[in-house]
Amino acid sequence: MGEPRFRIGLPFVPIAAGVGAVALVVLLLPQAAVSPIVLAIWALLFAEAGLVRVPAASGNRLSLAFIIGAAMPILLRAPDSFLPDAASVGVVYAAGVFLLAIVRLLRHDDLSRVSADGLRLGFGLAVYATVYSLVLLSLEISVEVPWSADPWNRFASFAVAAALWVITEAGLWALMTEARDGISKRYLWLLGLGDWMVMLSLLATGALFGFAWDEMGMWAILVAGLPYAFAHVAFFRYLEARSTYGQTIRALSRIPEVAGLSLDGHSDRTAGLAVETAQELGMTPREVDEVRYAALMHDIGRITLNEPNILRRGFTDEDLARWGAEIVAEAPYLRKVAGLVRRQHEPYRRPGEERDPSLPMASKIIKAASAYDQASMELGFSSLEALEVLHRGAAYDFDPNVVRAVRKVLTRRGVV
Amino acid sequence: MARRTTKIRVATVYALAGAGMLAYLWSSETPPPLGLWALFAAAFAFLDWRSVEVNERLLMSPTVMVALTAAVAFGPGHAALGVATMAVLGAVSARDVRQRRLFQPVANFGQMVVTAGTSALVLEQFLVRAEAAGGGAFWSWAALGSAAAAIVYVVVNYAMVAFAVRVVFRQNLKAWSHLGELLPSYVAMGFVGGLLGATITRTEVVLPLVFIVFLIGYQNIASFGQLREAHAATLRGFVKALEAKDLYTRGHTERVAEFSALTGQELGFRGTRLERLRWAALIHDVGKLAVPRELIRKRGRLTTDEYEELQRHAHMVEEILAEVDFLQPMVEIASAHHANYDGSGYGGRGHNEGQRPSVEASILAVADAFDAMTSTRSYRMALSQSYAFSELRRNAGKQFDPEVVEAFIRAIEKTGHTFGSPFLDDPEQARLLAEGKVDAHG
Repeated sequence: MGEPRFRIGLPFVPIAAGVGAVALVVLLLPQAAVSPIVLAIWALLFAEAGLVRVPAASGNRLSLAFIIGAAMPILLRAPDSFLPDAASVGVVYAAGVFLLAIVRLLRHDDLSRVSADGLRLGFGLAVYATVYSLVLLSLEISVEVPWSADPWNRFASFAVAAALWVITEAGLWALMTEARDGISKRYLWLLGLGDWMVMLSLLATGALFGFAWDEMGMWAILVAGLPYAFAHVAFFRYLEARSTYGQTIRALSRIPEVAGLSLDGHSDRTAGLAVETAQELGMTPREVDEVRYAALMHDIGRITLNEPNILRRGFTDEDLARWGAEIVAEAPYLRKVAGLVRRQHEPYRRPGEERDPSLPMASKIIKAASAYDQASMELGFSSLEALEVLHRGAAYDFDPNVVRAVRKVLTRRGVV
Repeated sequence: MARRTTKIRVATVYALAGAGMLAYLWSSETPPPLGLWALFAAAFAFLDWRSVEVNERLLMSPTVMVALTAAVAFGPGHAALGVATMAVLGAVSARDVRQRRLFQPVANFGQMVVTAGTSALVLEQFLVRAEAAGGGAFWSWAALGSAAAAIVYVVVNYAMVAFAVRVVFRQNLKAWSHLGELLPSYVAMGFVGGLLGATITRTEVVLPLVFIVFLIGYQNIASFGQLREAHAATLRGFVKALEAKDLYTRGHTERVAEFSALTGQELGFRGTRLERLRWAALIHDVGKLAVPRELIRKRGRLTTDEYEELQRHAHMVEEILAEVDFLQPMVEIASAHHANYDGSGYGGRGHNEGQRPSVEASILAVADAFDAMTSTRSYRMALSQSYAFSELRRNAGKQFDPEVVEAFIRAIEKTGHTFGSPFLDDPEQARLLAEGKVDAHG
C-alpha cells in the first residue's frame, strides 16, 4: 500500500476532540435552561441511537443519532420562546457524541474510524443547529409579538438546516474517504449525495418527533418510530436488490473461468483495475458501475468457445466481443453495458486514420486493464513489464490518458 | 364468454355498492375544507397511480396511510365523505390506461370507495369519543381508532379483491407469495396514518413532514418491488445465458418450471414454497454452462464418460451460483435433481448418499425427466406422453418418488394438454429416427 496523504488517526486528533467535547459540556452546562437530568437522558439516547448504523448505498453508514440530533433544537427551547436553547442543545450534542465515541472504543472499534465519524457527526450537528437558529431568528425578528409566532417558521428553518446538514455530511464523508482510500473526490461527493433519501428519512422522522413531542408525549415515539421502521426496511431491501445485481453479474462473469475457458480470476482482477482507473479519471458513480459490470462480463463471449465449428473456423477478438455483447444484451438492466462490451476490442487509433471520438471511455479502460492482467498473469511479465506493454501501445492500441491513470493506480497500490 | 358475463356482473355489483356508499355519505355528511381535501386527494391519486407490482396479480401502494391520515384530519362529520371521494381518484391505474381495460377501473372504483368509506366510518366513532375525552385520553382513543380503521381497511380491501379475483380469474389470491409479510406492514401503515392525522389536528406544522412519511411508505413498498425485480432479472439472466450457449434447451427450462409449479400446487405447495420450487427449476440446468458444448449437442449415444461429465453439471450449479445469496435454497434443490429416490444417484450439496432427496428435488427430477422424454433431443426424437407416464411409473420407488409421480401425472392431466409425440412409444426407434437410420414409418 502507498502512503496516504494524511491520516485522521494521528493520536492527538481524537484526544483533542475528546477534551474539546468534555470542555464544551462543562462550560455550557451551567448556562443550560433545561434541567441536567433531562439533558443526560437525551445524551444517553443519542449515544444509544448512534450505535445503530444504517448502511447507505454509498458505503457510508448513517446512524440513528441523526434522528435524535434533528429533534434537539426543536425540543430544547429557551424559556418562553421557540428559539433553541443553545447551551442545552450544545450539551446534548457534545456529551452524546463523546459518549458514543467512548462506547464504540470500548467495543474495540478502530480509533481512527471512531474519531473520523465523531468529528463528522459533531460538525454536521453544529451546522444544523446553527443554521436552524439563525434562520428562525431572522424569520421571527420581523414578527411584532416575539416568539408567539407562526409555527411554520420553525418548519422552514428545519428544512433549510436539514438540507445543509445533508450536504455537509456528504462533503465531509467524501473528504475523509478520499484521504483514506485515495479515490477521486468528485466521485465520492456524488456518491455521498446519493444518500439524500436515507438522510431525509432520518431527519424528517427526527423533526416529526420534535414537533409532536409537546402535544403527544410518549405517543410521539410511535408516530416517528414506525415511519422510521418502514424506511429502515426499505433501505435494506434496496441494498439487497443492489447486491443481488452485483452477485449475479459476478456469477455470470465466473462462467468462462469455471468452464476452463479463461484464466482463473481474470475478470475479477480486470474489473478491480478498471474500476480504480475509472475513479482516477473522475468518472461518476453510475459510469464507474457500468465500467465494473462491463469489465466483469468482458470475457463472457468465451462461453461459445466450446463449439467445435467455431474452433475450426477460427475467430477474432471482434467476434468474441460481439458474442459477449449479445449475451449481455439479453439482460434488460445491462443494455448499456452490452455496448461497452461490444467495443472493448477497438484500438484507440488505427495507424493513418483519425481516431473515433465515439469510442466509450469505459471500453478503452477495459481494453487496457484486460491487457495488463493478461500480460502480468498469463504471460508472466512483472508488473513493470506489463505496464510497459501499455506504454508501448499508448496512442495506438490504448488511450494515453487511460495508460497514465492505470500507472497512477498501480503506483498507489505500490506494485510499480 | 362465461368469464365476460361474470366480469360484467362483478363490476356492476361493485360499482353499485360504491355509488350507494357515496350517495349515503353525501346525504349524511358535509364535505371537508376543499384545500385540505385537494392536498390529500393529490397525494392519494399520485401514490395510487404509481402502485407497485408486488406479485403476479397484486398492485400495492401506501394509500391506506393517506386515507386514514386524511380521515382524522377532516374530522368526524366530514371524514367518510372526504375519504370516499378521494378514493374515486384511485380507480384508474396507469396499467389500466396502457392496456385499455375497463373491468379493473370499474370494479376498483366500487372496491376503493366502499373500503375507504367503511374504514372512515369506523374511525369516526372513535374520533367522537377521543374529542369528548380530551387530554391524554385523546391519544389513546385516536390510536385505538386508527388501529381498528386500519384493520377494517385491509380486511375489506383484501376480501373484495380476493373475491373478484376468485370469481373472475378463478385463482386464489393466497397462492401468491409474501402476503404474510406485506399485509401486517400494510395495517401498520394505516395505524401510523391515523396517528399522523391526529398529530395534524393538534400541531398543524407537521403537515409537510407527513407527506415525507407518505413517501417513506411508498419507498417501503417500492423497495419490495425492486427486490422482486432484481430476483426475476437474475433468473432471466441465467436462463438467457443458457439459451445463448445451447439453443437446443430453449424452452426446456421454462417447461420444467411450469411442470414443477403445477406438481407443487397439486401437492399443496403455496406462496413462498411454490415460488422457491419454480425458481429452483429455472436454474436447474445452469451447471450446463460449464460443460463443454459439444457434449450437450452431441448426436448419437453418449459414452459412459461423457454421460458422467454431463451429470457433473448438477454439481457445477453450486460453484457458479455460490455467491448469489438469495438463490442458495434453490441451489440446494437444483443440485440434487439427479439424486434418486432410493438414495443412489448423483446429487450435490443438497443430497446425502443413501438418503431420500427432498420433495422439491423429487418434483424437479420428475419434471426434468418428463420433459426430456417428451421433447426432441440431438440423439432421440420426442416420445409420447403415455410412454413417458408409464416410464415414470415404472421407475417410481427407485429413481422417482411414487407420490410425486402420481401428483405429477394428475397435474399434467388436469391441464388437458398432451405433450410429446402423438405416436412414438419406442425409445429405440426414436433413437434410430434421430440418427437418420430409419424413416418415420419404418
